[in-house]
Amino acid sequence: MKYLPLVWAAIMRKPARAILTLLSVMVAFTLFGLTIGLNATFVKFSEMARADRIWTQQRFGGGGPSGGGMPRALVEQIGRIPGVSQVAGMGFVGGYHGDPKNRVFIWMVDDKLGKVFNEWEITPQQWDKVRANRRGLLISKIQAGRWHLKPGDNFTMTAPGLKKADGTNSWTFQVLEVTNEISFATDGFMMGNYDFYDKSRPLADQSRMVQMFIQTSNPDQSAALAQRIDATYASSATPLQSTTEKAALDVSNNGLDFITVDREIALAGMFMVLFLTANGIAQAVRERFAEFATLKTIGFSDWGVIGLVFAEAALPCILGAILGVGLAGLIAAMVPRVGQGIGGFPMPTVTGGVVLWAMLCAAIVALISSALPALRLKRMDIATALSGR
Amino acid sequence: MLRQIFIVSALNFKSLKGRFWQSMVIVVGLGATIGVLLSMMSMTVGLRAAYDRVGDPGRAIVVSKGAESEGSSSVTRAMAPIIMDAPGVAKDVDGKPLADRQLNIGVPVLRLNGTKGYTTMRGFGPKGVALRPEFHMLKGRMFQAGKRELVVGVGAQTMFQNVKIGDQVILPDGGWPIVGVYQTGDILDGQLVGDTETMLTAFHRSAYNSILVRLASHDTLDAFRRALTTNPALSVTVERHSDWYKKISGQATTLLAVLAYVVGFVMAIGALFGCLNTMYAAISTRGREIATLRALGYGAFPVAMSVVLEAVALAVAGALAGAAIAWLMNDGRQGIWGVNIFHLSVPPSMIGLGVGWAIVVALLGGLLPSIRAARRPVVEALRAT
Repeated sequence: MKYLPLVWAAIMRKPARAILTLLSVMVAFTLFGLTIGLNATFVKFSEMARADRIWTQQRFGGGGPSGGGMPRALVEQIGRIPGVSQVAGMGFVGGYHGDPKNRVFIWMVDDKLGKVFNEWEITPQQWDKVRANRRGLLISKIQAGRWHLKPGDNFTMTAPGLKKADGTNSWTFQVLEVTNEISFATDGFMMGNYDFYDKSRPLADQSRMVQMFIQTSNPDQSAALAQRIDATYASSATPLQSTTEKAALDVSNNGLDFITVDREIALAGMFMVLFLTANGIAQAVRERFAEFATLKTIGFSDWGVIGLVFAEAALPCILGAILGVGLAGLIAAMVPRVGQGIGGFPMPTVTGGVVLWAMLCAAIVALISSALPALRLKRMDIATALSGR
Repeated sequence: MLRQIFIVSALNFKSLKGRFWQSMVIVVGLGATIGVLLSMMSMTVGLRAAYDRVGDPGRAIVVSKGAESEGSSSVTRAMAPIIMDAPGVAKDVDGKPLADRQLNIGVPVLRLNGTKGYTTMRGFGPKGVALRPEFHMLKGRMFQAGKRELVVGVGAQTMFQNVKIGDQVILPDGGWPIVGVYQTGDILDGQLVGDTETMLTAFHRSAYNSILVRLASHDTLDAFRRALTTNPALSVTVERHSDWYKKISGQATTLLAVLAYVVGFVMAIGALFGCLNTMYAAISTRGREIATLRALGYGAFPVAMSVVLEAVALAVAGALAGAAIAWLMNDGRQGIWGVNIFHLSVPPSMIGLGVGWAIVVALLGGLLPSIRAARRPVVEALRAT
C-alpha cells in the first residue's frame, strides 16, 4: 500500500497510454462478463431446474395450426400413475399484438400449474384471480413494461393459427396483476385461463392441451417415470415425449454448445488483453530502466522492484476487469427493459463467481505480462543501467 | 507526393522489425476480433446457405393462409387436387402435374452425444423425387410407396444415433425400418423421408402440411397464385420456394447474426484502443526519425499517411490471420441448430467483410496518431530523447 503512489505515478507518466490500455482491458472484460455471465445464467437454469418435475408434450410435432394437441383427459389418467403426485396442463395462444412484428405468446394454464411450480413468486390470491376471471391475465414485469400494461387494462392479440368458435382469431384479455419473473421465462411471461382458451375453441378442438407438467413424488425416479409414461402411451393415438425438467432446460438442447463458444470468445478477448498489457509493461520498463536501477541503488530488493512492476501491470488489469464486468452487469440489466429485448435470449448474470474468474484472469494476465520484464530487472547490471545505455 | 508517401511508408515497414512485439498488438487484436466474428458468422452463413439451396425458385409451395412454417400449416385432402391441377403447374412426362403432397412431422431423435433432439420426418408423394432433382440415393434403396419404410439423410446419419440402414424408427404404429441413405446438399440432409399416405395413416392424420409444385416456367407463379387465392374453396398462401425458405432462414439466422455482430463490434472497440495505443507508441519511438524526414523536406501529409498505412497493413495482416484460423476451425464442419443440420461456412465474401472491418478499425486507430505525428514541431521532436 505504501508504494501505491509510486505505482500510480509510474502509470500516469503516459496518461494517454494508461487510459487507452485501461479502456481496451475494460472492453475485453465487458465481453468476458457477458459471455461468462451467460454461462452463469445457464448454470443457474440447470441448478434451478427441479428434479421432481417432468415436462411432457406430444411425441410427434407439426400436426397443423392447432398442433393437434393432447387430450385433456390425460391429466387425470397420468395423475393416477404411481409416483405421480400432480399434473398441470396448458395450451398456448401465440400471435401478435397490432403489428405482426409484435410477437406475443400467452400460456393458458389450469389451476394446477401454480401447485406444480410452487417455487414461483406468484401468490395463491393472484392465481385465484385468474380462476375467477376467465379473460384474466397475469403478466410479469418485463412484459408489463414492454406493452405498457397495468392491472385493469385490456390486451387484444391476433392468433393467426388459432381459430375461435366464433370464427375470428382475435383474443382479448384483461390484465389482473403484474407479478415477479419466473426462473426460466427469460423474456417474461403472460398467463391466462385454460378454461377460457378451451371453451373459446371450436367444439371439435376442445378439451385439448399442448403441454403437461408432471410433479413426481420421488425425484430419483423422475427419469424412469418419464420413460414409463412414454412407453404407456407409445401406441396410443397421441404418443408422448417426456423429459425431466433438468434435461428440458439444458442449454445444449438446441444443438449448439453455447458454454464452449462463450469460453472461446472470452479467451480470445483475454489473449488480446494479454498482448496489449505485456507490450505496455515491457515498454514502460524499457523506458524507465535507469529509474529501476536507481530504485535498486537506494536499497529496493530484486523482488521489491519486481513487485512494483507487477503492480504497475496489475492495476489497469484489475481496474479494467472491475469496470468491464460492472459494465457487463449494467448492460445485462438494461437490455430487457429497452424495447423488445432480443427475443427471449437469456441475459448474462454477473455472479460472484464471474467476478472472481475475471479477477483471476486479470491477475494471470498481469503475472504473465510482467514475467519477462521482471526477469530483465532481476538480471540487470545496475551500473550499465544507470549510465542509460 | 505519392513518391513521398511511398518512401516514408517503406521506411516505416523496414523499421517494423524493431517494433515487432508492439506491432503484434494490432495484429493479435484484430486477429482475435475477426477470428471470433467469422467463427460466429460461419453458423449464420452456413445455415442460410443450406436453406437457400433447398429453395428452388422454379418451385412453389402452398401452405395454409398465414402459416409461418410447414409444421403449422395444414392442407386438407379435398384441397390438394384443386391446388395440384391449378394453372401454372408443370406437367410430368406422364401428363400428371409435377406436384406433391407433403407431410412434415417432428420426430424425437437421440444425438450422438446422448442428448435428446428433434428432426423433421418428411412425407413424399409419387412426385416427391421428380420434383427434386437434387435428391439422389447414396446407399440402399428408396422406400416403396405404401410400405412402412424410411430413408435417411446423409447428414442425419452423422449427427443422430440409430439411423443406420436396418435400424428402426419407432412411430405410433410400430418400428419403421430405414432402407436407404439419400443426399440433397441442403437441410433435407438432416431429415427422414417416407411415403406421405402411409405416414398419414400411421399418425391418424387427415390433412397434409403443404403442397410443393414445379412451376411451368419461372413466370407462372403469379397465374398460379391468382388461381388459388381467388378460389373460395381454398384459404392458402402461395410462395416461391426460394422466398419461403428465405423467410424461414431469416427467423433462424437473425439471432445468430445479431450475436455475432454484437460480439464482433465489442471486440473491435477493444482492438481499436489497442491500435491507438500502438500507433501512438510507434510515432513516439520514431519521433526523431519523422522529424528528420520533415527537416529534409518531406510534407506533413505523407508522414501522416504513412502512419495510417502502417496501421492498415498490420490490421489487414491480423484480419487475414484471424480469418485463416476461423476458416481452418469452422469451414465445412457440420453444425446443428434446432432441427437443422448444415455445414459451417467461411466464404470469401465473409473474409472480405472481416478485412473491411479491420481496415475501418485501423483507419480510426491510425488517424489521431497520424495527425499528431504530422503536427509535431520538427525542432522539438529532434531535441527529444
